[in-house]
Amino acid sequence: MGEQSQPIAYVLRGSTTGFVCGTRVNRLGATAFGRFVRVTVAEGGETVLGLIYGIRIDDDPLVRQLVLAEDVPESTVNDQRVNRMVPVEISVLNVGYRDGRGLHHSLPPRPPLSLHLVFMCDDAEVIAFTRELSFFRLVLNAPDVPSEDLLAAALGVAADVRESDARMQFLIDAGRELARLLNHDPRRLENILRLIKPEEVSHE
Amino acid sequence: MNKAEAENLDEWFPRGPLVPDEATKPARGETPIRLGVVVGGSLSRGLAVRMELGTPIEEMAVGRYVVIRGRDKRFFGMITDISLESSNPQIQVSPPDFSDPFMAKVYSGTATYGVLHVAPMLVIEEDGTARPVKTVPSHFTDVFAATADDVNAVFGQEDEVHFHVGSPIELEDTRVNLNLSRLVERSVGIFGKSGTGKSYLTRILISGIIEKNAAVNLIFDMHNDYGWEVINELGRRDKGLKQLFDDRVLIFTLDRESSERRNVRVDGEIRLSLREIEPEDLAMLRLTLDLSDSMVDTAYALHRHWGDEWIIKALSATPDEIEDLLERLNVHTGSLSALRRRLERFRRFPFIHSDRPDDSLNRLIAAIEAEKSVVLEFGRYGNALEAYILVANYLTRRIHDMYVEKMERSLGDRSMQPPQLLITIEEAHKFLDPQIARQTIFGTIAREMRKYNVTLLVVDQRPSAIDEEVMSQIGTRITALLDNERDIQAVLTGISGASSLREVLARLETKQQAIIMGHAVPMPVVIRPRDWGLDFYRALGYVEGEALKEKADEARRDLGGEGGPRRL
Ligand SMILES: Nc1ncnc2c1ncn2[C@@H]1O[C@H](COP(=O)(O)OP(=O)(O)OP(=O)(O)O)[C@@H](O)[C@H]1O
Ligand SMILES: [Mg+2]
Repeated sequence: MGEQSQPIAYVLRGSTTGFVCGTRVNRLGATAFGRFVRVTVAEGGETVLGLIYGIRIDDDPLVRQLVLAEDVPESTVNDQRVNRMVPVEISVLNVGYRDGRGLHHSLPPRPPLSLHLVFMCDDAEVIAFTRELSFFRLVLNAPDVPSEDLLAAALGVAADVRESDARMQFLIDAGRELARLLNHDPRRLENILRLIKPEEVSHE
Repeated sequence: MNKAEAENLDEWFPRGPLVPDEATKPARGETPIRLGVVVGGSLSRGLAVRMELGTPIEEMAVGRYVVIRGRDKRFFGMITDISLESSNPQIQVSPPDFSDPFMAKVYSGTATYGVLHVAPMLVIEEDGTARPVKTVPSHFTDVFAATADDVNAVFGQEDEVHFHVGSPIELEDTRVNLNLSRLVERSVGIFGKSGTGKSYLTRILISGIIEKNAAVNLIFDMHNDYGWEVINELGRRDKGLKQLFDDRVLIFTLDRESSERRNVRVDGEIRLSLREIEPEDLAMLRLTLDLSDSMVDTAYALHRHWGDEWIIKALSATPDEIEDLLERLNVHTGSLSALRRRLERFRRFPFIHSDRPDDSLNRLIAAIEAEKSVVLEFGRYGNALEAYILVANYLTRRIHDMYVEKMERSLGDRSMQPPQLLITIEEAHKFLDPQIARQTIFGTIAREMRKYNVTLLVVDQRPSAIDEEVMSQIGTRITALLDNERDIQAVLTGISGASSLREVLARLETKQQAIIMGHAVPMPVVIRPRDWGLDFYRALGYVEGEALKEKADEARRDLGGEGGPRRL
């Protein structure tokens, strides 16, 4: 599991619908829009599963100054990138949780608390979590989230971690689930389908 | 999270939901193909079944059986219509790109889907008994294509009364075994446009009836289709009943010359004396000969006056005699001369003579009494409708009298009763037209002869021309393709749940496919009748040596290029 078993961030603030965690640039690692992360709420408590829907890099006074300065040495720029005074903020949408009874595709009963460690989900976790598709609802209905792009990106991730011969079927099943959920809104449906459509159709 | 934990996720999240539900009980043997789930409908209008993902809509066909597996009952239904639906009308306005295989796979079965319309026909209770449907399965009950086992459970095995007549469509290896005792206890109709295989199907049924001793047959064989060899459409020689059943079938002919030319082994020739023809026989010909009421009245008057010589005397009368007649009988000149012109036509038929009656008819009747099946060939006279009707009517009247007498003598003692008799007539509407059905013997038989052990097998291409009351007495209706709306209507009238069969009926194949409904079947069934050929002959015990020789001959003919490719 290597890199993935290292925490990528600490929780900054959160709610039952999502949380924001902060990290250093050099810890960002494989974090990316649409990837699955997990955070264990308390020792022996639930593990919240979420999707990264935003990565935000704020400025700080030093950066502001550097932007105005001339002939900043390369090493200073690099140093400033890595050793910033404010963390990179990663926004996560909660899409499920795991407790003693199993995995749930619904909002966790409690939010993660500040400074809980956030990990990337590994391939097996992603596969297990996306075996059922009922978390789509949480993504599609989330306010203030680019839900179509987010779901499409997450499905891309979930397809990629599967065996190559299972990818196409996974995406078709996902597409069909979407077709059912978005029955009332064919335009939105078509939009997402275009985003998840595999580049080239498998050879079988 | 460690590896073991990750694998545990499999347990937490069993791979269920996308796999079809196995909980429903499949029949023994093969696994049934799941078609979809019930989403709505009613008993009278039929059920709507939303098709399952991956069920190819183009492979569905009206007339196919489905089984709806409820919690403890199984419902049998027939697909009566198939429609395409979309969950949102906007999709029809701006359709997604279906040329893309991914899009097509996603949309079909979800946003756009097929609906099967299914007429529920039968309920199989938990203990296996079949009953008519009185309720519908609940929402989202699974629907499967019927398997061979399902169908066999309904139509039973071949036994002393059940005869294999064909296969349900899409289930080529399954047999529909028809209960022939039930079939013959009420009148039977075989309908369909010309060339749909009515005569072949009739021949198959009658073979079964003879084989299983379900009834004695009397066949008025208008087009020489039943007794001896017939040439099928491809030029192959197909066997007739006598070739298969030998002396259990006797062939009588009205046209010895024609029969001899076709090398038919004839058992007797029928000749009719003008003295045997009675005014009742003419009444039957009212339409065919265009007789007015007063002409028929005149016939009765002549008969009263001259007795059985009435036709002979009327035809040979001199003008003086006629003058005298007009006065004495108070008949109309016009009617008399018109009647004479009509009667004159009978003389054109060589099988009608003016001598004393011979015993040819008695021999035919004796054969029926001896429980032989009789085919009466008309030779070239089958095209002369008046001859066909006259003879059929005359003979049937005599046999009817015999049966009535015997039945009455038996005083209800079954062992004394004459065996069930099935009389086959082609072009039945000519006998059973509403204008004459009430007066003719065939109308009488259709209406009330069930209690005298006589029933009809009517073969017709125009069921709408048959008297409604008679039609309502036709217990089992077997119909091939009909394309006239009124004919379809006529065939379906009085069959429960029939309106849903309309689509099925109108979409039968143009040949060798028929729907059987009514008294003899637990539920309507669309069959492909068995092939009339060597396998069939053999199944009836046709001598193997001869059959082999024929097969070789046939193969040789095939090699010689005669006829097209076909299955033996
Ligand atoms: N069960 C069958 N087995 C083999 N051939 C068949 C069968 N049914 C129909 N056919 C073929 O179809 C042709 C027409 O069938 P058939 O003569 O029975 O039609 P029909 O309905 O009686 O026509 P019509 O109304 O003109 O008398 C036959 O010559 C034969 O080639
Ligand atoms: Mg025919």
